[in-house]
Amino acid sequence: MSFLLPCPNCGPRDVDEFAYAGETTERPQGTPSPRELASYIHFRRNAAGVQREWWYHRFGCELWFLAERDTRTNEVLKTELPSTDAAGSPTPHEPATPDTPAV
Amino acid sequence: MTVDGVPNVRVCVEPVREGATVRAQNVLGSLDRDLLNVVDRIGGPFTPVGFYYRTMLRPRRLWPQYERVLRNLAGLGCLDKSGRRSGRYDVEHRRADVLVIGGGEAGVAAARAAAENSVGSVVLVDERAAPHIDGVETLAPARAIGFYEGGLVPVDAGNVLYRFRAGKVVVATGTVEQPLLFPGNDLVGVLLPQAVRRLVDDWALKPGDRGVIVSADGAGLDVVEQLRRAGVEIVEVVDLRESLPSTLAANGRRGRLESVTIEGRELACDLLVMSGGRQPAYSLLAQAGARVEYDARRGIFVPVDLPANVEAAGSVTETEPAAAPPPPSFDGGDAKGRCFVCICEDVTEKDVKRALAEGFDSLELAKRYTTVTMGPCQGRLCHLPSIRLYARETGSDEGAIGTTTARPPWAPVSLGLLAGRGLEPAKRTAIHHRHVELGATMMWTGAWRRPHSYGDAAGEARHVHEALGLIDVSTLGKLLVEGPDAAAFLELLYPNRFADMKVGRVRYGVLGSDAGRIMDDGTIGRIADDRFYVTTTSTGADTVIEWFDWWNAVWGMDVEVVNLTGALAAVNVAGPRSRELLGRLTDVDVSNEGIAYLDTKEAHVAGVPCLILRIGFVGELGYELHFASPYGEYLWDTLLERGKDLGIRPFGLEPQRILRLEKMHIIVGQDTDSESNVLEAGMPWIAKLDKDDFVGKWALEHVQARGFREQLVGFEMANGVVPAEGGQIVLDGRSAGRVTSARMSPHLGKAIGMAWVRPQLAVEDARIEIKVDGRLEAARVRLKPFFDPKGERLRA
Amino acid sequence: MRDIFRTRRMWRRRGELKPRYDVVVIGGGSHGLATAYYLAKNHGITNVAVLEKSYIGSGAAGRNTTIIRANYRTPEGAEFYRSSVELYEHLSLDLDFNLLFSQQGHLTLAHSDRAMITMAERAEVNQLLGIDSRLVYNDETARLCPELNLSDDVTWPILGALYHPPGGIIRHDAVVWGLARGADRRGVEIHPYTEVTGIERSNGRVTGVKTTRGEIACDTVISATAGWSTLIGDMAGVPLPITTHILQAFVTEPLKPFLHVIIVSSQMHVYISQTDRGEFLIGAEIEPYTTYRGTSTFPFLEYSARHTLELFPQLESAKVLRQWTGLCDISPDYSPILGLTEVDGFLISCGWGTYGFKAAPIVGTTLAELVATGRTPQLIAPFTLERFYTDTLVSELAAAAVSH
Repeated sequence: MSFLLPCPNCGPRDVDEFAYAGETTERPQGTPSPRELASYIHFRRNAAGVQREWWYHRFGCELWFLAERDTRTNEVLKTELPSTDAAGSPTPHEPATPDTPAV
Repeated sequence: MTVDGVPNVRVCVEPVREGATVRAQNVLGSLDRDLLNVVDRIGGPFTPVGFYYRTMLRPRRLWPQYERVLRNLAGLGCLDKSGRRSGRYDVEHRRADVLVIGGGEAGVAAARAAAENSVGSVVLVDERAAPHIDGVETLAPARAIGFYEGGLVPVDAGNVLYRFRAGKVVVATGTVEQPLLFPGNDLVGVLLPQAVRRLVDDWALKPGDRGVIVSADGAGLDVVEQLRRAGVEIVEVVDLRESLPSTLAANGRRGRLESVTIEGRELACDLLVMSGGRQPAYSLLAQAGARVEYDARRGIFVPVDLPANVEAAGSVTETEPAAAPPPPSFDGGDAKGRCFVCICEDVTEKDVKRALAEGFDSLELAKRYTTVTMGPCQGRLCHLPSIRLYARETGSDEGAIGTTTARPPWAPVSLGLLAGRGLEPAKRTAIHHRHVELGATMMWTGAWRRPHSYGDAAGEARHVHEALGLIDVSTLGKLLVEGPDAAAFLELLYPNRFADMKVGRVRYGVLGSDAGRIMDDGTIGRIADDRFYVTTTSTGADTVIEWFDWWNAVWGMDVEVVNLTGALAAVNVAGPRSRELLGRLTDVDVSNEGIAYLDTKEAHVAGVPCLILRIGFVGELGYELHFASPYGEYLWDTLLERGKDLGIRPFGLEPQRILRLEKMHIIVGQDTDSESNVLEAGMPWIAKLDKDDFVGKWALEHVQARGFREQLVGFEMANGVVPAEGGQIVLDGRSAGRVTSARMSPHLGKAIGMAWVRPQLAVEDARIEIKVDGRLEAARVRLKPFFDPKGERLRA
Repeated sequence: MRDIFRTRRMWRRRGELKPRYDVVVIGGGSHGLATAYYLAKNHGITNVAVLEKSYIGSGAAGRNTTIIRANYRTPEGAEFYRSSVELYEHLSLDLDFNLLFSQQGHLTLAHSDRAMITMAERAEVNQLLGIDSRLVYNDETARLCPELNLSDDVTWPILGALYHPPGGIIRHDAVVWGLARGADRRGVEIHPYTEVTGIERSNGRVTGVKTTRGEIACDTVISATAGWSTLIGDMAGVPLPITTHILQAFVTEPLKPFLHVIIVSSQMHVYISQTDRGEFLIGAEIEPYTTYRGTSTFPFLEYSARHTLELFPQLESAKVLRQWTGLCDISPDYSPILGLTEVDGFLISCGWGTYGFKAAPIVGTTLAELVATGRTPQLIAPFTLERFYTDTLVSELAAAAVSH
């Protein structure tokens, strides 16, 4: 990946400066059923199209922000800071890629 | 050729250096008497395309021998087995308003125009020498490696790699002359017009005595005059646009051209210039996103629909049309020579036909089966001819067949240049040099270098129990969580409770995800109503900080997270005599009432402002001192100096691991894995499931409801053998758990450890069997710490 | 011997689609073709169509780094992949097609004491199952791979390695072609350039598929479409716990034999082998972001080159010839998802991460058995989709994402 990602704070920067943290998820309101919990923890839309996702400017301003990216082209349509007022706002989950032998 | 030990150098473009050693490669003997020729000569009938898929199958046990022979025949050029890195490579990140690739007429014109219109910085890249142009920076000899996502164009300039991002890229890479396909087209003496021009113009060499020219475009004809000037006798010129001979073949002896047969007429010659038209070098444009379309009139592929900010200049898009594309191949009559489609990979017309007949009838399949276009020229000379051939043989048209992907890199690029100068960070604590001076063995923990021990791990561990030890724990992650919502914030992040925690107290916390998985652990001290001091594991610091920031970004609570990891150093003074030492260095009351177990206090120690945390990872009375890094060596020295009479000794990571194991304190990532949760890890007291909410609550409730599948327990070996960490607990011949930690405890005189076992084995004193060096060794399960199970030493 | 000179078609020309098949396999890669092959060979089920949207082997089957091994961390995984290695060992003879399986041995390097524990654990798990796998230290590593830079003067010194002698590399395209030929000769129809656009269901069971070449009725659909699994899952109404990532690789120009063992370093995210053609085939870890855009990146070349030269400085002047990219399904526990779903007749082989190619023959035999008998074979029972709902993950991950 070598595209430029516009950080809401720093402007367009080389994407290598950022950490990707996956598509946004909705944390259940109230106690979920085991199936709802499994869906929330493990299942992703994995859209082939525009996806709302988390990024972190790791080697930069260290801000978390949201991006809308087309996963078919990697074109970034929009980036923004998360709004903090809405209920059911997207929630963090475990980092996307753990350390594991690839082959 | 191999030049100065570098294999596969194209010596035709490599400038001569004084003292360079040049050797022929991939020959047995010498090039003139190459023993591998035998393979070549008998190869025709004996090694049809894909022959290895059909042979050497039986008997199966002989395959490794066959394979060795195959491997030895493959490959070009040898690597020096004892070679070291010797080159110096740099990378430069560059911007340009206009980047022009290719310094031919069109490229120069584009660069000049851009400079004259003062569009800003203009850079021209050319493989050979490009002329000076006012206002243009010229990089030559240099080659664009590819056109990557985000407009990244890396340029190989020998020892420097330029990573360009340009406002506009002008691709003026011109065209590539295409060969003609006829029997004998690989003979020495068969040349493309460009090679002739180079020999005559650049090096003043006479390429032959008697020349024949067969050309499908003007390029071939243009060399006629040049050849005449060089003194070559022109035997015949065939302009394929005017007449198409029914047969064409080159004949030779010992690999050298001796004659050309055209429609039955044999013409003696030692030079044959062939030109099959010119194919635009569109790869960079295709990588940039242009579509590649077949132009049937001209018989070539052309780039169309260029993406924004990319332009093409010159013949890469517009080339002089040949009257008619040459035939895909010429019938050679009864000529003996082989008709090569791909010189790099030795693929003949017959091979391609065979592949099609066998059912490899799409371009991609045929490419993979015959390996045509997969050689070092990357298809420059064989891509178009092979597609023409497929089209004729399959009765389809070139446009429908399409091209294969123009994969980067566009030109081969060395690993040395790509690697540049490696830079991987290594971290050292503020006290690092003292450890080295004290003779510590250093080890890697993540990016940190830490003392493994100071020479006597067992002795150092014992000494902490008996007297006094000092360890550098500066690598711990250290955060300040501050603000009116600080307590509520931590309450939501950790399974523990914090709201009720008094100022001046410390709690052990385990951080989990919503999946209930253990992410990290550490201590949390409340140093004011609205201020908490949080420590993390050494390798988990960055992740924990990101995790805190992430949730904070979502919740938008009134809290700030400050990373103090590098700003603060930390040491742990541990052992029964630690109170006495601390008392000597500070004014505050260090009695058990003054600073009780799990108390924290801000105080001056040896004049240094410190945060004192009375905690016990190593199981003895001890104090962690956190203070500004610059005081690191001073405080370390002072503690050693003032504790001398108490017998103070520094201890390393290994004795610390022994000590913590005696207490069954976990190391996250070693005793836990990606699925571990606090309940099954034997720390149910941490999870306050009666809290309204916290990250991971639902998952832990689910674990509670479904019952435990495995549990983390301690074990004690029956006969003192220490099993491997990672060793297996065996029940009825199958795995029933795994050892995560194991050590010989010098203090207890026992081999102890921790392991994940099935719940039915997680019972005090249960007998388990652990595989050690192939044997089963007995052990007993222990659920309480091996040392000081009641924690009396800690509270002393 | 005469056979090699005779030109014989590998498979029939693509014909028209029939209105109905017993089994439709989506994906003409190694898994799809293996499943079709074993359906026909082991169970006599030949009314089978393999639908491939491009040419056969165009996805992960033709883009992987061809490594075959069985030294996994979990007993479930190790047992499963061991069966696959055993099948691979006999597959050339079985298919009468030389797959150039080169069991040169596989070394996974450990650069930290934590990694040494993981290697030890894998060795112990493997040995308990009779898999040839053991921990070796640098004296033995130096004998197994004298070319490897074992000095301390590097960023990540090597402390030891997991040695797995049966590990090897194979010609991936040959596996695809051999399976395709074997399936075709037994009556299976292979339809390249036939893309599935929908899956028809009625009362919770599959009734057919829609394709770019028309509709087909069938009772059983098997999806073997690594990278695109969630999209096919969506067509059948089956959500999957999968994200799509790219995995990249490159080859150097061919060189004379130099490296005679496969070298893997997870710490440095690089794996290196030398093919029978002489090329160095070098791959890395998956890219951390999800994407369906399969273009190669330049940073991948840079860091892979850097890490390769840490291990083999002799390769400094070797030149990169070609780089490419494939799509991978990543599952939460790095184990595959295999078998039945909530939709009757819709079976899946997905979530393979970077391990799929290694499993092709065993996936083929077990899925074929499942289709033929209706019962999930014991070997793949741990890998059901259901495990994500019942919290019985099979974690190939040694450590949680955060602390490694």
